[in-house]
Amino acid sequence: MRKLLSILLVLAMMLALVPAALADGDLEPITLTVFRGDPGDQPYPDNKIYKKIEEEFGVTFEFEFLAGDLDEKLTLMTQDLDDLPDLFDGGNSAEKLIDAGALINLLDYVNPEDTPNLWAHIEPQKNRIITKDEVTGEDVMYIIPNYGLPEGPQIALSVGGPAFFIQKQVLAWGGYPQITTLDEYFDLIEKFLEANPTNADGTPYIGFDILCEDWRRFCLINPVQHLMGHPNDGEVLIDVNSDDYPTETFINRAYAKPYYKKLNEEFQKGIISADTFVMNYDQYIAQLSTGIVLGMFDQAWDFGNATNALLTDKKYENTYVALGLVYDEDDVAGLLPEGWTIEEHYLNGSLPNLDRGFGISVSCECPERIIAMWERMMDEDWQLLFNWGVEGEDYSIVDGRLIMTEEQYANTQDIEWQRHNKARAFFESSPKRQGWILEGDLAGNCWEPGNQNEIVFGLMNDYDKEFLAAYGYSKFADFVNPPIELAPYGEAWQIDKAPIEKDYNDFLNIQDSQLPGVIMANPDDFDAKWDAFVEAINPSCEVYSNFMHEEVLKLVDAYYGK
Amino acid sequence: MTEYTQGVKLRTGKRKGFFRQLAGQWQLALMSVPMFLYVLLFNYVPMWGWINAFKDYGNRKLVARGITPYNGLANFKWLFSRPDFYQAIRNTLAMSVINLVFGTVSAILLAILLNEVRNRGFKRTVQTVTYLPHFLSMVIVVAMAQNIFATNGPINALLTGVGLAKTPIFWLGEGKYFWWLVGVINVWKEVGWGTIIYISAMTSIDPSLYEAAAIDGAGRFHRIMHVTLPGIRSTFIILLIMNIGHLMEAGFEIQYLLGNGLVASYSRTIDIFVLEYGIQQMDMGVATAAGMFKSVVAIILLVSANFIAKRLGEDTLV
Repeated sequence: MRKLLSILLVLAMMLALVPAALADGDLEPITLTVFRGDPGDQPYPDNKIYKKIEEEFGVTFEFEFLAGDLDEKLTLMTQDLDDLPDLFDGGNSAEKLIDAGALINLLDYVNPEDTPNLWAHIEPQKNRIITKDEVTGEDVMYIIPNYGLPEGPQIALSVGGPAFFIQKQVLAWGGYPQITTLDEYFDLIEKFLEANPTNADGTPYIGFDILCEDWRRFCLINPVQHLMGHPNDGEVLIDVNSDDYPTETFINRAYAKPYYKKLNEEFQKGIISADTFVMNYDQYIAQLSTGIVLGMFDQAWDFGNATNALLTDKKYENTYVALGLVYDEDDVAGLLPEGWTIEEHYLNGSLPNLDRGFGISVSCECPERIIAMWERMMDEDWQLLFNWGVEGEDYSIVDGRLIMTEEQYANTQDIEWQRHNKARAFFESSPKRQGWILEGDLAGNCWEPGNQNEIVFGLMNDYDKEFLAAYGYSKFADFVNPPIELAPYGEAWQIDKAPIEKDYNDFLNIQDSQLPGVIMANPDDFDAKWDAFVEAINPSCEVYSNFMHEEVLKLVDAYYGK
Repeated sequence: MTEYTQGVKLRTGKRKGFFRQLAGQWQLALMSVPMFLYVLLFNYVPMWGWINAFKDYGNRKLVARGITPYNGLANFKWLFSRPDFYQAIRNTLAMSVINLVFGTVSAILLAILLNEVRNRGFKRTVQTVTYLPHFLSMVIVVAMAQNIFATNGPINALLTGVGLAKTPIFWLGEGKYFWWLVGVINVWKEVGWGTIIYISAMTSIDPSLYEAAAIDGAGRFHRIMHVTLPGIRSTFIILLIMNIGHLMEAGFEIQYLLGNGLVASYSRTIDIFVLEYGIQQMDMGVATAAGMFKSVVAIILLVSANFIAKRLGEDTLV
């Protein structure tokens, strides 16, 4: 008995010593609760990057990822502002957090003196990032954008955003043609389908998919503005060449009709299947991942999981190329707004991902420690650790160049490996440096491996190399025009629609319920259905257009410091 | 006991009698206290939240600062100016009625069939197989239904194969099919579960009734019609009254999962309407008003069903 007691006593003393040993440094260990507004994977406890964070900053993380509907989750979480996660990423609906008063104003901590690194990071775009609170009039910044603040000249190696996508094998089959209009695009798909109705396994190919589930309805709605030659402003078309920035919804205009007419024709030919309108996102990704979908309009990040799956299966010919299609002038003759000329602009200037990323919640007890940690993490060594990994293990430096072997790079794409060796859940939503390393011994390298020449071109698979060579291009972004300068208002899809939420909701609901019907209409009924759709949606379009115009003008004024 | 029979003292005596009776049954009363508290806490206290139906939650920035002014009946007025709210009411009632009719009829039919089966092993197997789907998550059931009813799915293959349809039918994308799809899926999922209570009601029917009927020359069909069905009548009525109280709840999961933009005007129930405006758009005022309307209608339905049943001389809930 006495022996047992003494053992227990020793154990108790050892346990008591543990916190004391940890508290030896300056920083008391803390655990930060973190919410991510998108689905994700928990890191393993042995994750080497999180271990390093714990060593230097005494910080450990407890992650919660989104499961279910984001808006519902955020509304429920913000009912109790005393019990929020410390680091709060509201995903695509972070405006809800700001409106609900769930986040602290980071400008109380971030300034040129105390946090020179973070300040230098946001300074070039501060007129966009720092806004005025409508009620109090004070300067506010709730979230440091998680992406879109690159250093040095813009890097555009491939299309990461919206485009008409087509499988590489279709272009290869067609003899590597130049495709610039809708007619050419669908023509090629039709001919390919005629010659190859099924893939090697006998599964029938699908000509063109249109995803329209919930907010991903942009695949159905957004193409019109791009066909008009404009980069992504969401659901409105803005004339950037006019000082007044005329803003209008485009879905109810005469120039939108030719696109849906074209889709209607393709539907009648069986290139588009009715099932595409009732498919959810998971089913869509599953379809794309099997390589049977020949083309779709989407944004590259939206089907990244499908691309990865195709690459893992080495189905390179089934991966996609982004094409910058525009209207043929003949298609829209007489329908364009006055003075409008069509020139393809799918790529836009670098856009700060405003209001996306981590905010610090009002219930966090140590905001200054998080800020201090981010400030230190903006240094080169930490950025390399997050982006490239541990030197010698995950990458090496040869003659001042950052390089990875094929195996090392393949590792970085492997989800399981990442859970052991990458701090994705934390780093993706944190402020980060992108673009070019401009100073020090490593100047001329890229912050992110995915942009580094040696990796993009050195490790490119042979199929892609031959494919690009056939076109005489050096990179996949060559299929579209180079980026244009970002408009002063940024990209209009970032504007929060909360003040007109009910009208906006009508606007979306009418599209969801009627537009697929227009596409599936009997050709004789097409005009009638289109007119009925336009009539139904016009009232909400008007409210939406006016609201957006005012907001765009406000942003322009803010950008010019007025 | 005398005060009950003496008419003059009846009024005051009744009250006194209630408390005396209560005191006499204090053990029983004590046992009901937890349930009473449960109902009070979870069913009556939340009704305080109905006050939100008369407040303005339109401006999120003001709501965040705790500013939610009273706006009278504005939320209700807005609600009843919305065609989609009427649609939601129509869809809710339509799907409830379809579910109620399909669900009850199929459950009673299956229960009768099972009751007539003499082979116990077969009976047990069928019972287990038919009620297992009850335990499946609606997410799984809907995913299966989406595959089965796809334009290239087995149902369409069958229909076009035997020549009942020339081209595949777009089951999932046309509003006119939606209510019936929900009905069919609900029957598949819940029919076995629904039979349990009827089978137990049938086992409590006195076997001598069947014997007497048989002696009088009643065949199997006549025994079902004249012994089994009357035997489960009171169970049926009680279940019907309870279900009528739930008519305003057509379910939420199945419509939410199976619905899509194309059929939205047939799939949006009141619950989805409340979710859309209350939780997704954070307008608690409108959402509470819609929820309150639903509760009031449900109470009216329940009370009238009960009243009618009482008039017909049946057992009732209260």
